[in-house]
Amino acid sequence: METLTTVLGLTVVGAPVVLFAVLGIASLLRKPLPEDATSRLVAISICIGLLAAIAVLGLLLGQGLDHRTIGVGDWVHLQQPHYHFSFKLRFDALSLPFVFLAFLLCGTIGAFGTRYLHRDPGYNRFFVLYAMFVVGMVLSALAGTIETLFTGWELVGLSSALLVAFFHERPMPVQNGLRVWAVYRVSDAAFLTAALVLHHLRSEGDFDALLGTGAWPGGQAALTQKQALIVGLLLLVAAMGKSALVPFSGWLPRAMEGPTPSSAIFYGALSVHLGAYLLLRVGPIIALSPWLAAAVVAVGLLTAVFAALATRAQTDIKSALSFASLTQVGIIVAEIGLGFRWIALAHLLGHACLRTLQFLRAPTLLHDYRAMENAIGSRLPRLSGSWGGYFPEALRIWSYRFFVERGYLDSCLTEYVTRPFTTLFRWCDAMERRWTNVLSGGESRESDQLSPSAGSLEDLG
Amino acid sequence: MTESSLQLPSTHSDAHEQNGHSPTTLPQLQHVIEHAAHFLPAQGPITVFVHHNTLHAFEELPFHDAVKKASRLFGNQPYLSEERYRQKLARQRIRSADLEAVLREDLGSAADEAVLSFGTRLDLRLAMLQYSLLQGPEAELHWFVAETAALRRYRPDAPPAVRERFLEETRHWVMRDVRAGRDASRDVRHTKRPHEALADLLQDFGEASMEHWSDATWEAFSLQALWRCCSEGVHHVKAAHTPGLAVTRHRDLLLEATGEDVDLLVDDVLIRFCAAFLDQGFSTWALPHRNEGFFRSFCTIYKQPAGPVDRWMHGLAKELIRLEQAGTTPLESVLESLELLGVAEHEWEGFITASLLALRGWAGMIRQMEIRADRVAVPAPPESLTGYLAVRLVLERLALQYLAREALHYEGPLHRLREAARAKIHKPQGPVAEQRAFCVFQLAQVMGWTPPALYRLSKHDWATLLSEIETFNGLERRRVFHMAYERRYRTQVLDALAIHANKPPVRVANPQFQTICCIDDREESLIRHLEELEPNVECFSVAGFFSVAMYYRGAAEAHFIPQCPIVVRPQHWVVEDVVYTLEEVHRRRARARRALGAASHQFHVGSRTFTGGAVLAAFLGVLASIPLVARVLFPRLTAQIRRMVGRLVQPPPITQLRLERERDTPGAEDGHIGFSTEEMANIGERVLRDIGLTSGFARLVFFLGHGSSSLNNPHNSAYNCGACAGSAGAPNARAIAQILNDVRVRELLAERALIIPKETVFVGGYHNTCDDSVTYFDLARLPKSHQAEFEKAHELIEEACDRNAHERCRRFQSAPLDLSFSAARRHVEERAEDLSQTRPECGHATNAICVVGRRSRTRGLFMDRRAFLNSYDPTQDDDECTILMRTLAAAVPVCAGINLEYYFSYVDSPGWGCGTKLPHNVASLLGVMNGAASDLRTGLPWQMVEIHEPVRLLFVIETTPEAMTRIMDRNETIGRLCRNDWVQLAVLDPHSSRIHVFHNNRFELYRPETSELPQVTTWVDWYRGWRDHLGFAQLVPPIPSECPPRWCAGRVSQKPPLSPTQERNHV
Repeated sequence: METLTTVLGLTVVGAPVVLFAVLGIASLLRKPLPEDATSRLVAISICIGLLAAIAVLGLLLGQGLDHRTIGVGDWVHLQQPHYHFSFKLRFDALSLPFVFLAFLLCGTIGAFGTRYLHRDPGYNRFFVLYAMFVVGMVLSALAGTIETLFTGWELVGLSSALLVAFFHERPMPVQNGLRVWAVYRVSDAAFLTAALVLHHLRSEGDFDALLGTGAWPGGQAALTQKQALIVGLLLLVAAMGKSALVPFSGWLPRAMEGPTPSSAIFYGALSVHLGAYLLLRVGPIIALSPWLAAAVVAVGLLTAVFAALATRAQTDIKSALSFASLTQVGIIVAEIGLGFRWIALAHLLGHACLRTLQFLRAPTLLHDYRAMENAIGSRLPRLSGSWGGYFPEALRIWSYRFFVERGYLDSCLTEYVTRPFTTLFRWCDAMERRWTNVLSGGESRESDQLSPSAGSLEDLG
Repeated sequence: MTESSLQLPSTHSDAHEQNGHSPTTLPQLQHVIEHAAHFLPAQGPITVFVHHNTLHAFEELPFHDAVKKASRLFGNQPYLSEERYRQKLARQRIRSADLEAVLREDLGSAADEAVLSFGTRLDLRLAMLQYSLLQGPEAELHWFVAETAALRRYRPDAPPAVRERFLEETRHWVMRDVRAGRDASRDVRHTKRPHEALADLLQDFGEASMEHWSDATWEAFSLQALWRCCSEGVHHVKAAHTPGLAVTRHRDLLLEATGEDVDLLVDDVLIRFCAAFLDQGFSTWALPHRNEGFFRSFCTIYKQPAGPVDRWMHGLAKELIRLEQAGTTPLESVLESLELLGVAEHEWEGFITASLLALRGWAGMIRQMEIRADRVAVPAPPESLTGYLAVRLVLERLALQYLAREALHYEGPLHRLREAARAKIHKPQGPVAEQRAFCVFQLAQVMGWTPPALYRLSKHDWATLLSEIETFNGLERRRVFHMAYERRYRTQVLDALAIHANKPPVRVANPQFQTICCIDDREESLIRHLEELEPNVECFSVAGFFSVAMYYRGAAEAHFIPQCPIVVRPQHWVVEDVVYTLEEVHRRRARARRALGAASHQFHVGSRTFTGGAVLAAFLGVLASIPLVARVLFPRLTAQIRRMVGRLVQPPPITQLRLERERDTPGAEDGHIGFSTEEMANIGERVLRDIGLTSGFARLVFFLGHGSSSLNNPHNSAYNCGACAGSAGAPNARAIAQILNDVRVRELLAERALIIPKETVFVGGYHNTCDDSVTYFDLARLPKSHQAEFEKAHELIEEACDRNAHERCRRFQSAPLDLSFSAARRHVEERAEDLSQTRPECGHATNAICVVGRRSRTRGLFMDRRAFLNSYDPTQDDDECTILMRTLAAAVPVCAGINLEYYFSYVDSPGWGCGTKLPHNVASLLGVMNGAASDLRTGLPWQMVEIHEPVRLLFVIETTPEAMTRIMDRNETIGRLCRNDWVQLAVLDPHSSRIHVFHNNRFELYRPETSELPQVTTWVDWYRGWRDHLGFAQLVPPIPSECPPRWCAGRVSQKPPLSPTQERNHV
């Protein structure tokens, strides 16, 4: 029985890994699979993964276990001082629903994508990244140690950023993809620091040890309150970046550059919930420190209110949906801070399904509006609520601009974070150039001579 | 940002004071803006998509001049790339004979003139077309010469005989002359003697052992000698100065000088604001002060304190407050900005055009909403476009100031910025020596120009040679290629017609029933299959609004929608009523629908709010997975269930059109709805006379309108009937049938000598071109006597629809080639319901011909769904060709509009069209953007045009050259489109199969190139198993007893497809 669970548990992760390996290796060998083979492979591997997950659930229920951890090896094991890095999968009441969700949505999107992207030159690239995303998602969901979670987290981040930049022949997707990537790096850095701190404190990253062996959502974290606050704040920053919470919210609408299905699943449904999922996983740590919990609630509510107002001012369907999505993510985060973990989980699952459906149907907007107008028999009323009338006009105009401009969040980050950063490094660069010029006795950098704009090769006569 | 750097006119405006503009300046500026606005895309909201010529603003010019001019202005491609054409050449889609014919025509007597001693001009140009000439930036050529085998191996695609001769002659020359130091060069003064020039080369290769050189060594030596010779030859010839694009925008110069793009900053703000300004009701928070116009609204909103923190926008609030306090109008603001930017009056036109085109989609939409205010829910106030331009220039000034300082380290006034930027740009004008030399080097190999021959050229000869080569530049080559590409298809069409029409046109005697469809190219196959299934059926085609121009509102619809071509403004209103007996049911269901509609609107908006979204997501969210999975994995089944449920609240099935007016004047109110009997008679007469159906009526006559339904498709309207301005043609078919069934109308018509027999019944129907279903209207009123016949006809039409679906499926990769008819029907039904399907149908793609004439001239000819068919009987027309004139007045602009829109959206999809559908994002309920924020994308998406062949529409009109010339003289639009070559034109003699082609402003007799046309016994045999474009074929029905017309009857051997090919012309 034990072995069966282990085998099945490994299959849950193995199926998408095999998919990723096959698609990825075929692409590296410059022999991408044909469309129909890719689509069949996607369907098979997602189905196997999903069935295996269901079987694991069945086994756990049959055995009356509330969780089960499967080790995939201890990769680093130091005796003196005691450190170990291990790779573990944890099946419990939190991870299983999330894995089901991931397989269900990814499977649907896979089926959708095979038809939607038919004949697109990036078809193969899309599915390679898709496979990478599924691997990352499943790994993050099932992670039993913080380093496993980090691995999945990174794969999700990388594939997401590359999918935003999917249409790389245009400048905007690439720019926005880079922005998403930059925000992810910040959150990853926080995550990595948190992991290091945890290892430093506890000399291991296993959730079993950290968060108590009890079943989710119970468990008692084995940290002091102060330790919990530090680790928790770092993890909160990680979650803020990944889930586009204030002040990182600017990247979410920008992520709508990719093909519709990838926007739907990654930013509408799964990627954006990963931060919330992390917080759910480390719930016992949050529960330790009231300050930390307060911070989580504050960030969540702030995001929810901001996004709820911003979505009202958006005029395109994808931006409106992404802010709507963010509203709910904010609420979910606040729920986690308040300790309502079951509610948060249910909210998260429901929200992901609902939003994926809405994103996928986004191009039907015109059709839907016409149908609704016909049913009602007139133009649709603006459902703006009447509360706006209580505020002075100047404030209303001011806040309209504030929310249309998405709270200036991106500009603030650019101006107050990126700019000092780049200024510093440009200064260093200038110093280095001076030095190398002195050494070489002249202009030392050939790239300076190149024209910044490449001439057009197309001949218009 | 300090105040001085902002350059407020009050403190810092020399230019302003000097100019002190005269009172005529502003009107003149207004005029310039209006003129520039003509170049903006003229597409309205995509909810009602109207096809039009993408370059409508250039129709005054001949086609090739227009595309050349427009492509420079817009930065888009005028034709396909040379490489694409060359692929078509390799596949024989273009033949060398076509190229030669086009070149001969193009060059006239100059074709056979000799170019130096290097053959004729024709040979040179043919070679330049047939062999690809690598071009590239200097660095790339350096790399190419150094790193590839270009200087060691002869071009592999050169003719072997030429190569042999080249190598042999060079070898002789080197051994006899060069080594001996003898010199064949005539012009000793300017060129180095070959021996000197090649001395080091000879040394490198080992001159002494020349006799032992291998063939490979000789090849390498010859090529290096050639390269030397070319490099030296071009060295002394000055490149003709090619004027670059006239750059007037500061942005372009700054971009070139620093790589920083001002538009990125400016557009980011403008896109959001334009979207908010044009929003048709999507956002729940409307733009404040919108009604005061673009400029005022922008000022009010962006002058508020504590605004965006972006550095470049720091001075914005202050500037806007200044403008507002001075009471500056948008136009004055534009003028002020022009002065501050140092744009002189003679530059206005170019500068303003370029500035408007920077964000052409949004700017164009603002203009459309301004001038076609009647067609949209929330129109734009007047002066909006000027306001937009004013705002744009204010923002540009700020962004320029900022980037000039940051990237260019320029602190001076803006009106000198362009000079400062120009000073930083070092770019060679025209081709550099390497590029020119490499061109000759490549040509020499295919033409066999040897080093000795080239060394013999004088400086003057080199100049001649280079100018000869360079005048036939890339654009010219593509033009010639394109003409050959069109010529090839044209000859196939005309040959087929000349053969096929070579028999006396006869109408079907005593037809079982008659159908009248739209002229749409998608109906061609339906008609063809119907005629094959039942030879005793007669088909006609006419513009799908059937002359019923009206505003129409269905029983379950909210608004009146115009149902006629865009050029017509309807004068009449028609509504659909539920019959009185079912009125109560109708009211109940309408209430239910209203409640459901309001609920779904609440849901739509509520799911995006704080509490509503939370409740929905937490409690019902998981349920969304059911429709999600069901719709994606089982689209057809889900659609059937949805329809079943929907039927509960649909209006009762028995409705009628309120066509007859009670009061005198038409209007949208009760009593004014409908037409008078007289007007109805006029409509009926018009449509019957247009198609020549004035006698020989069958007992059943069907009018079939058409439309298309698909999901997740913002461009759905573009698949609908073009003659109904992007709506489905169902109400028109229903209305015309009802009109012609009216006894009083028939009496009036009889007075006008148009007698419709009593036993003739008209039935209106609707063909959905996406799922290939046909539905009929008002069958409750079908007389008992006709029911049996109707059922038979219905069965035939269903069978024809199955076959039509089958023929369409050959283009869909996801439909296997061995589908049965009914499976094909199921396949297209599924496509229509599939959320993930980006190609529900192929639309007008591949359209290429428009035949205006009797169906009997084309009946039994396979036209591969590429022909618009327009019924017209020249024998019933008067001497003035009144009928033809009015038919063409609609058909030429409408069909040409469709064809040209497809042309441009295909040749440069991201440029003229709206690129791939995949990242499209519906904005403001009126258009699509790419991804998160981009310009509003106009034109057709790539998925819609993917299998199109970009050729100009070939009109074949059954009339005489003289009559056609008169029509071109009398109707300006037709004359312009035909004479300026926006369409191709040919006339088919009404009494023979002689064809005249309109060319160089006159009709020339066409001489067919072949006298053979493949014959098949059934259409299925012709198209089955082929995904590609197919050529023409003739249907020769088998003798019925021997072989039933079924597709399983076996394949016919003689099936040369148009192009035996790898290029995939299916989706």
